[in-house]
Amino acid sequence: MSLTNLFFGVYPYIALTVFVIGSWIRYDNEQYTWKTDSSQLLSKQGMMLASNLFHVGVIMIFFGHFAGLVLPHGLWLGLGISDLAHQWIAIIAGVIFGIMCLVGGSMLWYRRMYNPRVRINSRRSDVFIITWLMATLILGLLTVPFSIGHAVKGDPAVMLALAEWVKSILLLNPQPELMTKVDPIFRAHIFFGMTVFLVFPFTRLVHILTAPFSYLTRAYQIVRTKRRLA
Amino acid sequence: MSHFLDRLRFFDKVKETFSNGHGIVTNEDRNWEDAYRNRWRHDKVVRSTHGVNCTGGCSWKIFVKNGLVSFEMQQTDYPRTREDLPNHEPRGCQRGASFSWYLYSPHRIKYPMIRGRLLDLYRAERKAGRDPVEAWEAIQKDPAKREKYVHVRGLGGFVRTSWDEVTEIVAAANVYTIKKWGPDRIYGFSPIPAMSMISYAAGARYLSLIGGACGSFYDWYCDLPAASPQTWGEQTDVPEAADWYNSTYLIITGANLPMTRTPDAHFATEVRYKGTKIVSMAPDYAEYVKFADLWMPVKQGTDAAAFLAMGHVALKEFLVEKQDPYFTEYARKYTDLPMQVVLRKHGEGYVSDRNLRASDFDNNLGESNNPEWKTIVFDKKGGRFVAPNGSIGFRWGEDGKWNLLEKAGAGQAETEAELTCMDSHDEVVSVGFPHFVPGEPALLYRNVPARRLKLASGEEAFVTSVFDMQVAQYGIDRGLGGANVASSYDDANVAYTPAWAAKQTGVKAADLERTGREFAENASKTKGKSMVIMGAAINHWYHNDLAYRAIMNLLHMCGCVGQTGGGWAHYVGQEKLRPQAGWAPIAFALDWQRPPRHMNSTSFWYFHTDQWRYETVDADSLLSPAGPCRNKGSSLADYNVKAVRMGWLPSAPHFNRNPIELAEEAARAGATDEASVSKYVVDQLKSGALDVSFADPDAEENWPRNLIVWRANLIGSSAKGHEYFLKHLLGAQNGVMQEGGAGNNCKEVKWREHGPTGKLDLMVDINFRLNSTGAYSDIILPTATWYEKNDLNTTDMHPFIHPLGEAVTPGWESKSDWQIFRTLAKTFTALGAKHLGTRKDVVSLPMQHDSPMELATPMGVGKDWKHGECDPIPGKTMPMLKLVERDYAQIYNKYIALGPLMVKLGNNVKGIDWDTTQEYEELKKCNYPVQVEGVSKGMPSLEEDIYVCDSVMRMAPETNGEVAHKSWSALSKKTGIDHHHLYAGRHEDKITFRDIVAQPRKIITAPTWSGIESETVSYTAGYTNIHEHIPFRTLTGRAHFYQDHEWFLDFGEGFCAYKPPVDLKAHEKVPDSVRNKPHLTLSWITPHSKWGIHSSYQDNLRMLNLFRGGPYVWLSEEEAATIGIRDNDWVEAINANGATVARAVVSQRIPRGMAIMYHAQEKNVNVPGSNTTGKRGGILNSVTRVIVKPTNMVGGYAQLAYSFNYYGTVGCQRDEVVVIHKIEDQDIDWLERPLTPEREAQRNPVGIGKK
Repeated sequence: MSLTNLFFGVYPYIALTVFVIGSWIRYDNEQYTWKTDSSQLLSKQGMMLASNLFHVGVIMIFFGHFAGLVLPHGLWLGLGISDLAHQWIAIIAGVIFGIMCLVGGSMLWYRRMYNPRVRINSRRSDVFIITWLMATLILGLLTVPFSIGHAVKGDPAVMLALAEWVKSILLLNPQPELMTKVDPIFRAHIFFGMTVFLVFPFTRLVHILTAPFSYLTRAYQIVRTKRRLA
Repeated sequence: MSHFLDRLRFFDKVKETFSNGHGIVTNEDRNWEDAYRNRWRHDKVVRSTHGVNCTGGCSWKIFVKNGLVSFEMQQTDYPRTREDLPNHEPRGCQRGASFSWYLYSPHRIKYPMIRGRLLDLYRAERKAGRDPVEAWEAIQKDPAKREKYVHVRGLGGFVRTSWDEVTEIVAAANVYTIKKWGPDRIYGFSPIPAMSMISYAAGARYLSLIGGACGSFYDWYCDLPAASPQTWGEQTDVPEAADWYNSTYLIITGANLPMTRTPDAHFATEVRYKGTKIVSMAPDYAEYVKFADLWMPVKQGTDAAAFLAMGHVALKEFLVEKQDPYFTEYARKYTDLPMQVVLRKHGEGYVSDRNLRASDFDNNLGESNNPEWKTIVFDKKGGRFVAPNGSIGFRWGEDGKWNLLEKAGAGQAETEAELTCMDSHDEVVSVGFPHFVPGEPALLYRNVPARRLKLASGEEAFVTSVFDMQVAQYGIDRGLGGANVASSYDDANVAYTPAWAAKQTGVKAADLERTGREFAENASKTKGKSMVIMGAAINHWYHNDLAYRAIMNLLHMCGCVGQTGGGWAHYVGQEKLRPQAGWAPIAFALDWQRPPRHMNSTSFWYFHTDQWRYETVDADSLLSPAGPCRNKGSSLADYNVKAVRMGWLPSAPHFNRNPIELAEEAARAGATDEASVSKYVVDQLKSGALDVSFADPDAEENWPRNLIVWRANLIGSSAKGHEYFLKHLLGAQNGVMQEGGAGNNCKEVKWREHGPTGKLDLMVDINFRLNSTGAYSDIILPTATWYEKNDLNTTDMHPFIHPLGEAVTPGWESKSDWQIFRTLAKTFTALGAKHLGTRKDVVSLPMQHDSPMELATPMGVGKDWKHGECDPIPGKTMPMLKLVERDYAQIYNKYIALGPLMVKLGNNVKGIDWDTTQEYEELKKCNYPVQVEGVSKGMPSLEEDIYVCDSVMRMAPETNGEVAHKSWSALSKKTGIDHHHLYAGRHEDKITFRDIVAQPRKIITAPTWSGIESETVSYTAGYTNIHEHIPFRTLTGRAHFYQDHEWFLDFGEGFCAYKPPVDLKAHEKVPDSVRNKPHLTLSWITPHSKWGIHSSYQDNLRMLNLFRGGPYVWLSEEEAATIGIRDNDWVEAINANGATVARAVVSQRIPRGMAIMYHAQEKNVNVPGSNTTGKRGGILNSVTRVIVKPTNMVGGYAQLAYSFNYYGTVGCQRDEVVVIHKIEDQDIDWLERPLTPEREAQRNPVGIGKK
């Protein structure tokens, strides 16, 4: 098996499987570990800025990737957004939110590493994940010049190839060869990104799955009944 | 089933709605709730309590799950209190509720531990073929080997060892010490038996059997109110907390009820709903001030002045200007106020001298028995002087007249004692009263009415009553003219008026006047239901006895003592060991041999930690110009040596020779029995060949050699003069900032130029918690916690007796204290049989209170045989010398059985004897007889902890109605009054261990105590003295206003006088580096904390979380700001005694001029190095040094005779002053560096030499 097959044909499935099964097992068996592990009680300094920049940035980046890579290509064309326009939108939004995330994330990383109270209360996984996320982010930002180059040349082929590859993975028809055409920086970014899914169940990232949005709409009173209900 | 799959039913969650959709009903998985259920689910509940000296005595439910203690909760099944009284339950505070943390905490001692260097040395010697005792000897005889482990005490280095090996080392050290130096060089320290009696008894029994000395604690802790024995001949007896509820006027001073009496404080809040007024006296805005209707912010250390002023008002308005009928009758019958005092010529006038005695009259007033010990009143009915019933002369040598009935001893005619001779005096004489306020005269002359009397000696004397003297001493103008009396309360120039006291105390004169009047008026209307609750905050001063006597005077003027709802309430230390009479024979092995070796710890530590070498207080500066002062020029230490020589105080070691060798020398010289050995020793002493050990405490033959500490934190909590302990006793790293030398002017104590360091060969700590005592020990033995053993617990706060229960078996390799000492006894016996065999031991016994020996010193004149003032006569002018035979091959067999002396000699308490044969026989059946071959086969077994509990309870009148019957019968014979009704309803009761496990039981009324258990009154002190006419155990048989002992007159304390705190001068010696920067000079106040009981709990994760997480010092906010200290800054407190480092808490609660460091915040959590000493930051006592008071050394004289924990020097530390300065955060040094040879050698702070 070629390295391309391994990284872009097999590894995605390993990462996704561990992500799903791992999260499931942890959710069922380790309910008390399923939490954000916030360290804000230990030190609030600068958190208002750092945490919000990071979270807003990372959430928007997530939705950007989702929109560009997971939603069907035809949807955008049907909405009248050309591939080139699509790419420019991605570049601009990516730079804005990527920098927000970078600033906030760097502050969090610095705090995690050098605030003594936070550091002493950190597990290795906490240090690892913030470092890994920042590396992934920086790699993502480094792809921007390449994307700009493609866009200036009016050639959205790389973007389309990436979307095609994601589609192939999700449709269980992996086409790792699509990745041979893209710049190495994209491959590195994708590898780092897939690894985030792999380590997801073993870190504090699990809180993403249970963000308490239902609080926004919940009833004033909830009765958890002991009666048998139909 | 699966939380994850449940999530997939997200849209199916809402099953029903209600309230227009505002509420929803769901059918979610509820298994998560089990987490909360399991938190409180348990397998069993066991009753136990906390063996900590908090006086709480609370019953707790201990919950056990999966073999582990999971939590505890307050018990609520106390028997009801009484109709119209709130119940006791629930009792227990935040500290007790956190105890279960300790069982599995990082502090827990799990295995026997030993200093690694010592173990290496010992193993090497053993490997070389030496037996254990020889191995120990080899280490001790080689200074290099000894120093190797001695000088690293406190620096860690413990290793785990086995029980077999560790008990062998301890036993070998004990055997070697007995052989080489004498058994009285083995010292045991454990406090407060009442908190876990069997544990205390374990070590005390082992030590008593081998001849070691047990050290006192109540006096050392300065919890003993010396004024109580002085006034009542009683160590301490106080009302139960419920009696606060019967009071209608309460003054609270120095006792922080909600903080330190947490489970009882509710009685004080509840009684306010009945309209009781509460006056609180405290320099700071303490928690108990919040109860108060009036807060009197009294300056620290001036309480006596405040109470004397209140006494001035009460005395003037209720006994002088009018004669309140209740007060007058009380004063006549129950106090020494009508007793006659002889006046002694002094300069132009007179001063007070001794009490008048029957022996001063021709024909001894018809008294043939002890006429010198029968005090005199003037009988109004017969118009003559009589010796009334009840004085101490009637207590010994005759029966039936030792009572407080108003009768003349000879002839038993009805009498009425006269309080004052105002209407029939022969003359008005000028009497000088000692006065101690700087800037005011040292002798205040006042006019006193007196009668002229020709004494039997032919001498003509003036006599007058204590009452007439006391009125003059309070500075009350009776129209007799003369100076130093006031007719107005506003006269600030006359001592003891409210206006004068206002100058001393900072309290408003109007408040003192009103409170004094209200207190007395309330007592007059309610027949004595005015109460003063007092505590350690005023008792820890050098002149604590005067502060207390000032309060007692007020109470006695107002007829409060002995009345329910009235009297004194001193709660300092859980001193009420209710089944004392059943416990003492087991604890001190009186069932096998008598007497035991007892020692007063304050004097012991004062000498053996060499604090005397640094003495800055000149005893002469404390003397009164009015006293005979025959000992002028003596130092404080000299007075103590004299007291030991005269048989007033004990000493350990006794003499500068091994007492076993002494007996052998006597035998070689032909002495065969006790009398001839005693004569031999007396001759040796007389010739000077032998002397008491305190005459040369630094000579190596006089050092204590082995120290066993159990149930205590001697080093980290109560070591007043902590750094001196480290330096001299232990030879460890220490922060003493001065050279010895101030104490080199003693006449009786030999000065040696170099102060010895590292006196102890071996220190053993038995504990479940690694605290400072363990850290400085050589060996640590793991003991069972309070939830892992069976034991007994009582307190003065309530009448119940509680068990400590074995909820789980002792953790890891720990054992209960009883089993630890049993193991030790077994190992010791094997080595003792080989090396010691049967030996005779000379035990030196001071004149004991509650025995005929308390009549040793006629007229209270102490004569020192050493200086040829008299002959040395054991039991009269020097200690009794007893010969005790010890079979060292039978120690174990004796330890495990109740010995034969219980049948042969019976049992006794407080001078009352009874037979215990019946109980002894019952115990054989109840406990099983001993099966082990040896001297004790067939005797009642004490092998198991519960057997010991049951033996104590079977033999004590408080827990066995039959014994109550026997003891009350014995007392009835003595008083000539039938007291049997007091316990009659419970004659058949026998309380057993199983009974108290089932439910707390109320004890039975016993003559051990002066209160009663009844359906009509609460327990209160002095009740039987007043209502049953049982005399107080004093000279006059009454409560004493006046002390006529020579030493009291020397120091001007015949009557209670106000003395300001003494100047210890330690704060004057601080390094320039501190003096030249901003600093504060503050009174060092060390009361009890909210987040700990002594050093327990303060290092507990839960309590640390509640406040600051480490040691702290409270400062006044304004004052701290003046030198730039902000809240939570590091500060160093320093003086010549050492230094301590803590965080500052700045608060408006604290007045200027004082720093509060709560008691016993230990050095085991968050204590950095001190920048000044270069050593670990220290504890509250790092800046204190103990000082001894000569009047507390008096003995052989009625109520002033010695008894263990009853009288003697007290370890006061509160007069100390410190310098406080800020330490910048970056200058904090945690001393976390490896031990280098240089560090090891530098044991003193840099620049401190060998003195």
